[in-house]
Amino acid sequence: MLEVVRATKWLPLFLFLGSVCVAVSGCRPLPQKNTLEELAPVIFWSIDEGTGGKLKISTMVPPLIQEPKKLLTLQVDLLEQGTKGFNLRYDREWKLGQLRILLISESLARKGIGSIINTLMTNPEISQRLFLAVVKGDFDRYVGSQLKEQSQLDYALYRMFKHYERKNQGELTIVNLHQFMKKVYSRYSDPVLPIFQADEADFVYEGSAFFKRDRLVANTDKSKDQMFQLLSNRHVLKLFPIPRYYTTIGQLRSKVRWKLSRDHSELSVTVALRGRIQEYRGARNLYKRSELGALKKEIQSWLEQQTRALLESMQREGVDPLQIGDLTLRPASKPIDREEWLQEWRKMRLNVRIDLNIQPLTKVSGEF
Amino acid sequence: MTIVYVITLIDSERLNEAVLEPLSTIGSEREDTNGQEPGSWVRSVSVTLSPFTLQSEANGRLMQGSVLIYDGETGIWRSCKLENPLGRAIESSETETILLGPKDSFSEQIDENMTLIRRRLPVMKLKAEKFLVGTLSRTTVVLMYLEGITNPDLVNVAKAKLSKIDYDMFLDSSHVAAFMEDHNASLFPQFMQSDRPDSCVNSLNMGKLVILVDNTPFALIAPITFFNLFQSPEDYINRWIVASSLRCLRYFSYFLSFTLIPLYVALCTYHYQMIPLQILYVLLESRSRLPLSPFWEAMAMLMTLEIIKEASLRMPSKTSQTLGVIGGIVIGQASVEAGFASKVLIVLAGISAIASFLSPNYVLSKSSLIVHMTFLMLASWLGVPGMVLGMVALLAHLNGLTSLNRPYLAPVAPFLGKDWIDLFIRGPLKAMRQRPSYLLPLYKWRYSQRRKPS
Repeated sequence: MLEVVRATKWLPLFLFLGSVCVAVSGCRPLPQKNTLEELAPVIFWSIDEGTGGKLKISTMVPPLIQEPKKLLTLQVDLLEQGTKGFNLRYDREWKLGQLRILLISESLARKGIGSIINTLMTNPEISQRLFLAVVKGDFDRYVGSQLKEQSQLDYALYRMFKHYERKNQGELTIVNLHQFMKKVYSRYSDPVLPIFQADEADFVYEGSAFFKRDRLVANTDKSKDQMFQLLSNRHVLKLFPIPRYYTTIGQLRSKVRWKLSRDHSELSVTVALRGRIQEYRGARNLYKRSELGALKKEIQSWLEQQTRALLESMQREGVDPLQIGDLTLRPASKPIDREEWLQEWRKMRLNVRIDLNIQPLTKVSGEF
Repeated sequence: MTIVYVITLIDSERLNEAVLEPLSTIGSEREDTNGQEPGSWVRSVSVTLSPFTLQSEANGRLMQGSVLIYDGETGIWRSCKLENPLGRAIESSETETILLGPKDSFSEQIDENMTLIRRRLPVMKLKAEKFLVGTLSRTTVVLMYLEGITNPDLVNVAKAKLSKIDYDMFLDSSHVAAFMEDHNASLFPQFMQSDRPDSCVNSLNMGKLVILVDNTPFALIAPITFFNLFQSPEDYINRWIVASSLRCLRYFSYFLSFTLIPLYVALCTYHYQMIPLQILYVLLESRSRLPLSPFWEAMAMLMTLEIIKEASLRMPSKTSQTLGVIGGIVIGQASVEAGFASKVLIVLAGISAIASFLSPNYVLSKSSLIVHMTFLMLASWLGVPGMVLGMVALLAHLNGLTSLNRPYLAPVAPFLGKDWIDLFIRGPLKAMRQRPSYLLPLYKWRYSQRRKPS
């Protein structure tokens, strides 16, 4: 008789252990019912300072396309009080499982957003991929004016963030909740968030906001933000208009080399930039190599100034969003304290060099 | 001389030609030449006569289409087989259709079926052993295998199971399979039915057994694995890369056929966080006006779909096509407009119904309905963790199954790496140098081991 062969007796054990792992790793054995038609998933929250030290929370409802939307606002002491308050004001239950964007007002960000971020971070319903942004101006007014013109405003904002989050898109600083928290709790570096200007008609990207731990301290203007994108964030810019020299550089990519002296007194940064002249409206004749060379030199020295100014502003504020402090780490030596690093960073000599390699779109003759 | 036969069972023309005419000639000659040896008429009939003595033998032979002849002079009963050759021509298979490849298929005549196999395997090693099952039907069952290749243990197990069968009626090979299967309560078939001689010959060559049953065109192939149910004869005709991708598509479709709608129910009931935002908007929009919960909505649509599928099977072929199209489109459209179901669910139901048809094995695709319903209930009860539990239970059940005592999930569990060349992919024929090792063949090589002269 053929002996009965059991198909590996260990497999049921593995399957059982696998299911136990699934159960203990966060999947509730009896999950909470979330019947879709009874919910109102919140996509964005806008948080501002309220009166009397309160928080002013706003969002849009309903989540349906074919029903007219409205803006709901609440003044609360605690963030979760907002969730409860909205629930009592609306027929569907508010759920934060699809919260994708958190817009924080500039004034609130300057006071510190640690408690807000921690509350969101520890809420298991909220995804770590929550986009954070700082807003100057009255965002509620902007939403109020756009409700009739753009019914899917919340979704459009989410798509914008999502689009620029991808690699090689350049242009905007996009930061997630987990990226922000990672920088907050790192030894040397400080977090960055995008900053937008909102008024009744527009919602415009202004630049990057630098935080000291959880408190907003400074922000770049549009011009310096372009250098910030090349130095750190994405290392790519699709378009870099330089009105001062009547030039737009396209498809600009950067390779940055940082070098910190052993005694931490001097920082050398070499930025190799590669791109092409996309547009030129100046008086130079770019068909001539000498003219092109002169333009390149002018742009190069201007970029060096911009970079130096950006780094110096960081030194003044005592923030390190470029994670330069990591350069002090050595395999066999004890890391220095954050305070010690910031003192050194403030006093550090800067040596900035830009290697600009731009190709003209036209043929250049060798005449000098 | 007495001749006994049942007229509906015998070929009367052959009876006239082979028996009655020679006997009448002898009768007229006997008047002329007296004193002939008794029993000499046996030599003049053109059929083989076999003597018998028992009443029970007489009854059996009579009912199987034999003519009984009693010689009064010698007192000996003889019989010859002259059964009515009822049957149909060799036609192409309707259940396992392929575009390219052999078109012939088995018929209800077991001898013809054996001939179709023997023509493809003209070797002495091909053995056929005959069994008689069914106390009333007296059905002939033939067990075929390749001696020297098929593991004798498999043959012995099959023989033991066949000889133990004690039942009155066997009208189809599935009835025989029901008495031979190791796990009767399982949803999954442990014997594969096929009416394609090429499939049977391929299985014999691999070291499997083929069991032919009289009066049915479907042969049984065993032992099989779960993965054999996804293999089509056309896999070995298509280019191997194409065949491999199609095979993977079949596995994926089978998985999709019973998980797609339960996943919809789980997401709509518990895990709204997992739904991509754009789809969430569409779902919210369509579900906001529905009176039924996701589970009952899915259950209603699934039942409707099964009713349409079952109805189109039972109707004549021309009507069934119309029924399927009209039923599917009209009911789907109407239920969305009436507000019974969401558009998303109708799309998912359509995809899962089409996906269930991709499995080449009809028995397996039928069984997926029960798996589907179970998953639906688990999804509604526990959400995605429920589906994971269901999947664990399904895999554990499959792992426990055997076919003729061979593991049903081989070569995945137990892991037999060499057999993976013909599992999820269909490797090139040149690379398939060995027979499947889970069948423990006596001779595993599929090519000559002798050195070629240089």
